[in-house]
Amino acid sequence: MTTWKEKLQGDIPEAMGSLIDIYEAQMELRKQGKLDEKVFAEARLRKGVYGQRYDNGQRHDGLKTRALPYPSNDIVKGPDTLWDAPGMQRIKIPYGGMTAEQLEALSELADEYADGILHITTRQDIQLHYVHIDDTPDLMRRLAAVGITTQEACGNSVRNITACTLAGVCHDEVFDVSPYADAMTQFLLGHDDVQDFGRKFKVAFSGCAGHACGLVKMHDLGLLAVTRELDGETVRGFTVFVGGGLGTVPHQAKVLAEFCTEAQLLPLTQAIARVFARLGEKKNRNRARLKFLVAKLGIDEFRRLVEEELATLPPDARHQAYIGELGEFDYQPAKAGLALNGAPLPAGFADWYRSNVYRQVQPGYSAITLHAPLGDFTSQQGFELADIARNYVGDNIRLSVEQNIVLRWVADADLPAIYQELCAIGLGDAGADTIVDITTCPGTDTCKLGIASSRGLTAELRARLLEKIHQLPEAVRELKIKVSGCFNSCGQHHVADIGFFGNSRRSGNHKMPHFQVVLGGQWRENAGSYGLAVGAVPAKSVPAVLEALTERYVAERAPDENFQAWVKALGRKEIKAMLQPFMRLPRFEQQPDMFSDWGDSRVYTIDDIGVGECAGEVVSLFSMEISKAESTHFEALLALDEGNYALADANAYKAMVLAARALVRTKYLDVGDDRDTIVSEFRSRFYDTELIYDRFAKGKFARYLFKRHAEAPPRINEDYAHQIIDETQLFIENVHSAEQRINGVIIG
Amino acid sequence: MTAVPKRLSLKFNLRREPKLQPADILPIFQRWIQEHTVEDMLIDVIDYKHVPQGPGIILVADESDTAYDLGDGEIGLQYIRKRALPDTLEAALWLVFHRALAAAQALEAEAPGDLAFDFSRAKISFLDRRHYPNQPATFAAAQAELARILSDIYAAPVAVRRAYEDPRRLFALRAQAPAEFADGRALHQRLLTSRQIA
Repeated sequence: MTTWKEKLQGDIPEAMGSLIDIYEAQMELRKQGKLDEKVFAEARLRKGVYGQRYDNGQRHDGLKTRALPYPSNDIVKGPDTLWDAPGMQRIKIPYGGMTAEQLEALSELADEYADGILHITTRQDIQLHYVHIDDTPDLMRRLAAVGITTQEACGNSVRNITACTLAGVCHDEVFDVSPYADAMTQFLLGHDDVQDFGRKFKVAFSGCAGHACGLVKMHDLGLLAVTRELDGETVRGFTVFVGGGLGTVPHQAKVLAEFCTEAQLLPLTQAIARVFARLGEKKNRNRARLKFLVAKLGIDEFRRLVEEELATLPPDARHQAYIGELGEFDYQPAKAGLALNGAPLPAGFADWYRSNVYRQVQPGYSAITLHAPLGDFTSQQGFELADIARNYVGDNIRLSVEQNIVLRWVADADLPAIYQELCAIGLGDAGADTIVDITTCPGTDTCKLGIASSRGLTAELRARLLEKIHQLPEAVRELKIKVSGCFNSCGQHHVADIGFFGNSRRSGNHKMPHFQVVLGGQWRENAGSYGLAVGAVPAKSVPAVLEALTERYVAERAPDENFQAWVKALGRKEIKAMLQPFMRLPRFEQQPDMFSDWGDSRVYTIDDIGVGECAGEVVSLFSMEISKAESTHFEALLALDEGNYALADANAYKAMVLAARALVRTKYLDVGDDRDTIVSEFRSRFYDTELIYDRFAKGKFARYLFKRHAEAPPRINEDYAHQIIDETQLFIENVHSAEQRINGVIIG
Repeated sequence: MTAVPKRLSLKFNLRREPKLQPADILPIFQRWIQEHTVEDMLIDVIDYKHVPQGPGIILVADESDTAYDLGDGEIGLQYIRKRALPDTLEAALWLVFHRALAAAQALEAEAPGDLAFDFSRAKISFLDRRHYPNQPATFAAAQAELARILSDIYAAPVAVRRAYEDPRRLFALRAQAPAEFADGRALHQRLLTSRQIA
């Protein structure tokens, strides 16, 4: 029987395959205790392999905290994270764009490795939950075979680059930002200058200033499409925002550059990344996002540093090459655009059309939103949706930051038919972009940091609102609700009209799940302003609080007054007074149901909260790089065991070069990937200076590298393979020792 | 074609639509964790009842998922063996029958008269497209062996057919045993006394 690795050989790009092989070898080394747990944790996070609630081997079952005796409880995949505990696999979908084939592949994986559910995130990713780490290499290979990577989906790296779902079909956009998001994704993926961040780095593109889709003002790097007249020509470019972010301490991004041309886009981004890597906080993870660096330095000083960096940036052909390829980003509709033909419309169509259909700028075509409740859909829905996409829109599928699916380039004449087909697979619900379309993070369902059940609350609110959606006044229907399970804002509660984030309060001897109410955030204008917390109410009281708020809003609002303006006019004191009746806490004996969370019958506890992995591990660049050398050395050993001596030699040599590169990069970040350059730099910086010298063996181990680099062996047999693998091991140890002597510390 | 699939699942459907709602299953599964009502190392309960024809409510264990499943528009109890499968297909099938039956009967006991499974019919899914692609050839190669094993499990003739034609879906079978197995007592007795389970 063939393995997936064998079966997919030839279908996976070599570079992607090699990274997966390295990761698989790192897994083996970790299981053998030969790779530090923090280094492995960061390595797996950078492959999108994330921990999940209860992976520390404990769970409160409502009566007491109970140990979960996983089979290999002596092996960890990170600090306090047990190997066998189920985890989450995050999968990057750049700007949310995917093909029908990719959707099918994702659906297959959800079937075989997860729980049959695909979850759409607020960064246009797909997440699979309850995945065993042992399955992740094959999962990644099957993704790679259809052009999807999980590389740098989590950890201290550049996360999935997001963009408006309507880019390219929008009436109001300045130009289509999709090809730029695509180019930046390709440029930054695995780039040397984004490997040494203290925290994650989020990038977003928006085609216009007015709508929300791109949300550029709440990103580390936000790029807003603009044009300028230069020498009589209209030139495309971007207004560049930096240092935005939500989280515990939300920051509005600052304008770094009013206009950055296409040609400057990638070098400027690279320069920002280099400044962040060099000066960003590395130890205190709570202060390590770019927003803190920008706030600390001030935007003017940050700009000066970026400009300085830009001036000394090494030349890179990729900086400009993408511009010539922008024209290749062409949409292929499946059908000719035709208007609705006046035929009778199916029941429910009118409601759906009103909320879920967007008339594209291209005549005869529409983009339609498929509402995925709580961002979830099944693998079977995925297969059936792929068929619908092929039939009506081709590969024009996008995921939205509001956790929905958007099909673009639907011929208007096909709208009734596609609506009926979507209804048949459970994806034809009306109400997209309305109050029932609630965004939520995973919360206590699967997140280690969750304090309250954001998904439970969302499901409850959604069910209640759906029952009365037709009775709701238009002003209420238009409101945005967003829910997070804790203050970290993964559900983006700061930019909703009505946001909630989980916390807890005590009543007597019991804890009670609560949600802080956040009012008046602005979704439009790219997350133009953030809402204010006005008070915490019991989780079970939230539906009543929502009703009270919306009823009063409808009753008191001036004509055309929006929710934000109404909240501002009402004032925080009055709102707090309105919430006060809901804040009185019963005792457990009086109302025990208030002491359990939505969708969870257990008596509430916060004992299950663990240490989150959102921040990644604080691991030095050297540790990450040398671990690649070690896992490549391990692959050489495997090749030796399989009798493939040529491969053993190739991997051993590669491992020596990677080890040398790891050390060189502690002094010279821009050494690049060219082997001659790496060896030359290594020689001049560490061998000629004797810094690499062992106390007894002197420069002997380094000469193993020089010898192999100078010439390939004339004959490769088992003895030779054994020898070079041994030499590689000695060289890697030598590099480790030298790094400790020179830099004093391995793991930050 | 008798490789042990990576994962193997078995679903018994309800005989009729119950009064009990999927939301009512959630506290039952939570209590099962407290009381360790079913075997396997129980971890948590997941609520997917908001997803149309989805996995419903899942009781997650290290080795398995036990779901009050709504897939294909059929309400049933699905036991998915994810890990630690026995080293023969025959033993794996005996195991999933045993665990699925135990869970389904435990659930019936929670709502006597309302929840009633049809144990004479089962859907068996092979969650392993590498070894079991959903092709006619797979069925042709496996049919005789699977019918033999299933007939042995029921101690009665069992008819098997492919559940889905769509090659993208999992390879799955619908098995039909004689009607006397519908209420589960005969199958329970058979599994209880079997050397395979012992």
